[in-house]
Amino acid sequence: MENILSLTNISKSYGNIQALKNVSFEVPAGSVFGILGPNGSGKTTLLGIVLDVLKADNGNFSWLNGMNPDDARKQIGSLLETPNFYHYLSAFDNLEIVGVIKQKDKKDRERVLKAVGLYERKDSKFQTFSLGMKQRLAIGSALLGNPKVLVLDEPTNGLDPAGIAEIRSMIKELNRSGITVVMASHLLDEVEKVCTHVAILKRGDLLLSGKVEEVLSNEDRVELKADDLSQLENILKELSSLQKIQISDGFVYAYGHDLDLKFINQYCMQKGIVLSHLLQKKKSLESKFIELTEK
Amino acid sequence: MQHLLFIEWLKIKRYRTFWILVGFFAVLLPLWNYGISNGIMKLGGGGKEGINVISQAYSFSNVWQNLGFWTSIFIIFLSILIVILSTNEYQFRTNRQNIIDGLSRLQFYHAKWLLILSLSVFSTLYVFITGTVFGAQYGDISYFPGKIEYLFYVWVLSLNYMGFAFILSLFFKRSGITIGIFFLYSMILESLAGKFLNWQTDSYIGNYMPLQCSDELLPFPIMDMVRSMLPKDSSAPTATIYVIVSLAWIIIYYITGRQKLLRSDW
Repeated sequence: MENILSLTNISKSYGNIQALKNVSFEVPAGSVFGILGPNGSGKTTLLGIVLDVLKADNGNFSWLNGMNPDDARKQIGSLLETPNFYHYLSAFDNLEIVGVIKQKDKKDRERVLKAVGLYERKDSKFQTFSLGMKQRLAIGSALLGNPKVLVLDEPTNGLDPAGIAEIRSMIKELNRSGITVVMASHLLDEVEKVCTHVAILKRGDLLLSGKVEEVLSNEDRVELKADDLSQLENILKELSSLQKIQISDGFVYAYGHDLDLKFINQYCMQKGIVLSHLLQKKKSLESKFIELTEK
Repeated sequence: MQHLLFIEWLKIKRYRTFWILVGFFAVLLPLWNYGISNGIMKLGGGGKEGINVISQAYSFSNVWQNLGFWTSIFIIFLSILIVILSTNEYQFRTNRQNIIDGLSRLQFYHAKWLLILSLSVFSTLYVFITGTVFGAQYGDISYFPGKIEYLFYVWVLSLNYMGFAFILSLFFKRSGITIGIFFLYSMILESLAGKFLNWQTDSYIGNYMPLQCSDELLPFPIMDMVRSMLPKDSSAPTATIYVIVSLAWIIIYYITGRQKLLRSDW
């Protein structure tokens, strides 16, 4: 499958602070690609570099199979950090400037303003808009001219819960219509709900990237106890469904996917071990995320 | 090129500040000169019957030089306009947005230069029209156009002032501080430094400073008259040299700004 965006060894530092360290990944066509990381992990810097407002110290990137980057950006709808518009112009006039730069049809302004629910306010000056309306206008502006790719930096920032749900479903809907979406978020929950692929950044390091269900898989943890812990550990090691086994605090902890407690209990019984304790703990995504980003 | 200029036009056509500042220039230049030519504003005492020294120069061929000098004062309005339009981009972060939407950095930069070029052509044409009206009214149209080279100096000066204002904006990014520095430099620092340099080196080197070199092209008409009565100083630079120096500064502004925008983060 073709790649919408590929990054190779992108590095960037601000003085002593290394904002990005050799980051490489590829965004496949048709995906909703989440860039996940806590605040200050380099997400916005990364998007700034691929949109040419920041200069990378090292490495390179290419859009749409090596298209000229200026032309590529005309095919990309972007929202970076804050909504940036001329304060003294109306929503409609602001979108005209975007349309002329992107060389798109003027008529499309009405469609996108309706799509983000701002059509009634099209003649109001940008400076009169609330934060949420500014964010909506920025999303509308990104949709102008039916882009092939959307790049959204914290797209639900500043929106109320209804607005957040609306934007998320809009992203999914746009993705279904064939648009590739690259979005940065510090909300794990958002990435899990919306994205098909994810790259996790921590202080400029790319920790992981891949399909969401692989990277953010739900790993189960089972607590077991028996009179002889080491014997219990030994027989559990023979079970192929368990990926990791360790003893601590008087328990045996076993990790794996979709574990069947009944089966484990039966298995131990057959091996002559009576369990005095058996408890399954679903590992929450939050704790997984924190574990990933804080170790 | 047209495309870039059109984008700039969309940014300013509904911007009140733009129209107000252009209006100041367009109204004040003829009004001020009308006042002087009618003797409302006088230099040279003597009450109603007195001599009005500065009202002498509104016929062809001196009208261009006279209007040119006042343009070198009123061009401040257009320079401030350039500062506001350029620093707005930083304040609204629309400089980034323009790039994100698909302009190249160089296109963004050139669009602003095209705007400056257009405004300098506007100010020159405007002086031409105003001068033709004054010249026809106070003198004989058959002497038209007279010392029309001063109109070319007006264009060079406009480009120099606005180019300088633009480069200051790129470095200071905030309108207040940029306007402050522009005034401080153009009104005080440059004349002090220029005169000091001239005095120290016993030459005209101070006249070659960024804005002064263009101001030298359009001196205050009376000063010029007085100067012409003094024995001629053969070492004084000619207008051609001042034009070359002015154009050199404009090229330096262009290159400096270009390097800055292409290399730095936005």
